Amino acid sequence: MIRTRTRGSTSRPSSPRLRPRPWWLAPVGAAVAIAGIQLSASQKAPAAGAAPVGVVCTTSTSPHASFTLTARDGHISNPDGNSIYTWSLVNGNGAFQYPGPVLCVNAGDDVTITLKNRLPEATSLVFPGQEDITANGATAGPVISGGKLVSLAQTAAPNGGSVTYRFIASRAGTYLYESGTDQDKQLDMGLVGALIVRPAGHPSMAYDPVAGHPVDDSSFNPAAEFVLLLTQMDPALHAAVEANQPFDMTTYRPHYFMINGRSFPDTIAPNNASWLPSQPYSALVEYQAIDPDVGNDPGKALVRYVNAGPVAYPFHPHGNHGRIIARDGRLLVGPAGQDLSYEKFTVDVGAGQTVDTTYQFTKLYDPVTNPVPLAIPPLQNLLFKDNQTYYSGSVYLGKKGVLPVGTTQFNQCGEYYHFMHSHALFQVSNFGASGGGMLTLMRVDPAGGCP
Amino acid sequence: MTNRDEPQLTRRRLLVAGAGAVAAASGLGLARGRVPRSFAAPAPRPQRQLRLVGTDGWVSHPLPQHPTSWFPDTLAPGEQTTYAFGFRNVTGLSTSDVLAQKGHAQASAPALYFDEGDEVTITITNVGLAVRPDLTDGHTIHWHGFRNAPVLFDGVPENSVAVPIGRDFPYFFRPVNAGTYMYHCHFEDVEHVQMGMTGVIFVRPSQNGQSHGGYTRFAYNDGDGSTGYDREYPLMVTEWWLRSHWNDAHIQESDWTEFTADVWMLNGRTYPDTLAPATTFDVHGVPATAAGDPIDPGTRLAYQPQSALLRGKAGDRILLRISNLGYQDHAITLEGLGFTVVGRDATLLRGRDGTDLSFRATEIDLGPGESADLIVTAPASSGSSGSDAYGSYDAYPLYDRGLRNGYQLAGSTEHTGMKTELRVYGPGSSLPAQSLPALDTPPVPPLV
Repeated sequence: MIRTRTRGSTSRPSSPRLRPRPWWLAPVGAAVAIAGIQLSASQKAPAAGAAPVGVVCTTSTSPHASFTLTARDGHISNPDGNSIYTWSLVNGNGAFQYPGPVLCVNAGDDVTITLKNRLPEATSLVFPGQEDITANGATAGPVISGGKLVSLAQTAAPNGGSVTYRFIASRAGTYLYESGTDQDKQLDMGLVGALIVRPAGHPSMAYDPVAGHPVDDSSFNPAAEFVLLLTQMDPALHAAVEANQPFDMTTYRPHYFMINGRSFPDTIAPNNASWLPSQPYSALVEYQAIDPDVGNDPGKALVRYVNAGPVAYPFHPHGNHGRIIARDGRLLVGPAGQDLSYEKFTVDVGAGQTVDTTYQFTKLYDPVTNPVPLAIPPLQNLLFKDNQTYYSGSVYLGKKGVLPVGTTQFNQCGEYYHFMHSHALFQVSNFGASGGGMLTLMRVDPAGGCP
Repeated sequence: MTNRDEPQLTRRRLLVAGAGAVAAASGLGLARGRVPRSFAAPAPRPQRQLRLVGTDGWVSHPLPQHPTSWFPDTLAPGEQTTYAFGFRNVTGLSTSDVLAQKGHAQASAPALYFDEGDEVTITITNVGLAVRPDLTDGHTIHWHGFRNAPVLFDGVPENSVAVPIGRDFPYFFRPVNAGTYMYHCHFEDVEHVQMGMTGVIFVRPSQNGQSHGGYTRFAYNDGDGSTGYDREYPLMVTEWWLRSHWNDAHIQESDWTEFTADVWMLNGRTYPDTLAPATTFDVHGVPATAAGDPIDPGTRLAYQPQSALLRGKAGDRILLRISNLGYQDHAITLEGLGFTVVGRDATLLRGRDGTDLSFRATEIDLGPGESADLIVTAPASSGSSGSDAYGSYDAYPLYDRGLRNGYQLAGSTEHTGMKTELRVYGPGSSLPAQSLPALDTPPVPPLV
């Protein structure tokens, strides 16, 4: 069944026979502005230097890295038109953004993070996977008040307080940072972000080389590095907080499911898309295929899954298995260098877990060297949903064909678009309207990319 | 990850290396799929041609102690209770009989299986929905986990095509990676998957027929018989939100983020139906017993033909191919027996340097969209649990330790939900050796 939701609606839809406009027309421009496709100059992302896709790092200096994260409120927008009051962590005095900035440091860096709190309640930060953290110079740890645990780490006072955390980012890997205070509420409100620790001196590796490791496991193409940070929201909680009303967490029910703070189809819009001013991070994954007829070596794409939600998300990339090379910032390698990595077609990322996965894609068929040995039925006898498609018109990677008259095509040069999504399929919806939510596209380009 | 094309493709490439210019000149024709006859043909591959219909229908779940306004569904014919969408294998049926399956979907979809090196064409015919003529949804088949999938055969309508009512489309595959997968419709995925268009699909390795470790059938190309087995059983793990099924039958919308499961199934059945014998469909697509006797379409389980009863003799190695196409995690446990997890997500659990990553376990947690290959070694049988046509047996319950038992018998101590059992017979049992039926000649005998 196809349906969409009206702007601002938070209730069950009431008009079941309605066959409203297609879901991918709902967000203005988002469906046609696939991040990798060349846009006109006026549409291009405003931020200078940011690539349209791929990880956008917020960096500091090395070996002493210093960041200020400001906890504050703002609004994000959803593809169904709903605007949601959100808390998040902002880089210094920068514009409101959700999720928090992707902090990138080098292994061994002495990292200082000052949390400034502009929210009306105390908050804090925890850094799962980091060790020997201090808060204002003291050992970071739980705050007990009146015999009760009130926070997992020292807090910044409401409305202007601050606290400074410090740690040595001792090991390369993919990590999470998040609120350690009233986590049920504050994580859903949005106080989460990703932390990448890079192996010093190895810009194209996710981890340090391991002696005796039989394969070069963590190398990747730096032009194909992606963070997919997975979250969810219950808009009723956000509305209650915005109105300064109490919220009963036993009634909690998420209705929005996000990658990098966006729901599909916003997920495929470019980094810093102007129409998503509070959600700067694209979730489009794009890399080049291996073409046996060309003999190219595009390297591996690296996808760093970061689950900042409260449940496991069974994330399923179509098109090919991924090789799981690390979990929680630990390379999957045995004590004697044994290969403990493995391939999966669904990456079940646990709550608070990170998983690093590499992807490659090999062109199977070619019109000359390996044609598909059957006749493809005429496309005019088939169904293009909502008369639009990402399909090129040709079964062959890098080729385009003719689509039926009246079909809108979002395809540049015969590239493949594969889904990547949660397989708990109710999460692939925007408040129940299917074809949204925790869904993005994996764009596989032919060798050499699109001209 | 790497190019896993078998040598035939390389050979073909070599053969055509000098003919590229000619082929390029006729590129348009090639794009339409014609095989250029001037090229030397490689060794023929086994051709596997199946036809599935996508449609709606009615299936049955155990009756609740306290019926609600939406369960059992008052529109349901006969003893059926629940509206569903589904696939049916109609290979070899006449066109008239194919079209007559409108309104006669099965749950879960038929288990499909192929061999590495097969050339597989699965044609989907959309015959429409009997209960919802207003709902003109397409259907597709998504082979979940197929490596290096061309988008046209991946079955995502937004990224390629969907099959409208009254048309069909051939999905083409050359499976070259053994293992256990799953398939489902990807049109309005949250709805069509929930409604029942879900099945197990598995690929048998090219190593089959060789002898390794005393076995001739294997889950993977292991080289050492570590995945050898005597019997195999596909298990499709799903759970349904009955309210959404009623909504679809009664032209109501569901807010899918309100998903709340109420029945938990193995192979489309809820315990104790999981233990009931498998049934089939005759050459006209009408429900029939394994012996070929017709079953009234209104009978319970008439359109849930796949049993989940597991059987083996003492000492047998039994391969369980489990795929989860529900929306919840399921903790599959085999009470009283352990198993070895030899594969996950159609991948042999072995590092690239040969490191053994298989493991012994008594429970395997499967998230939505995950699969696992478990090998159980049947112990000696005392025959103390019961007896059936194959003799006395010991029974070992297989169930979801997440205790997804369903509401139907709330207040009762009776077991229901995602549960079945493994019956282990003594060496004198009449249980015959297992051979899987061919899928492409109707009537397809039940998979037992």
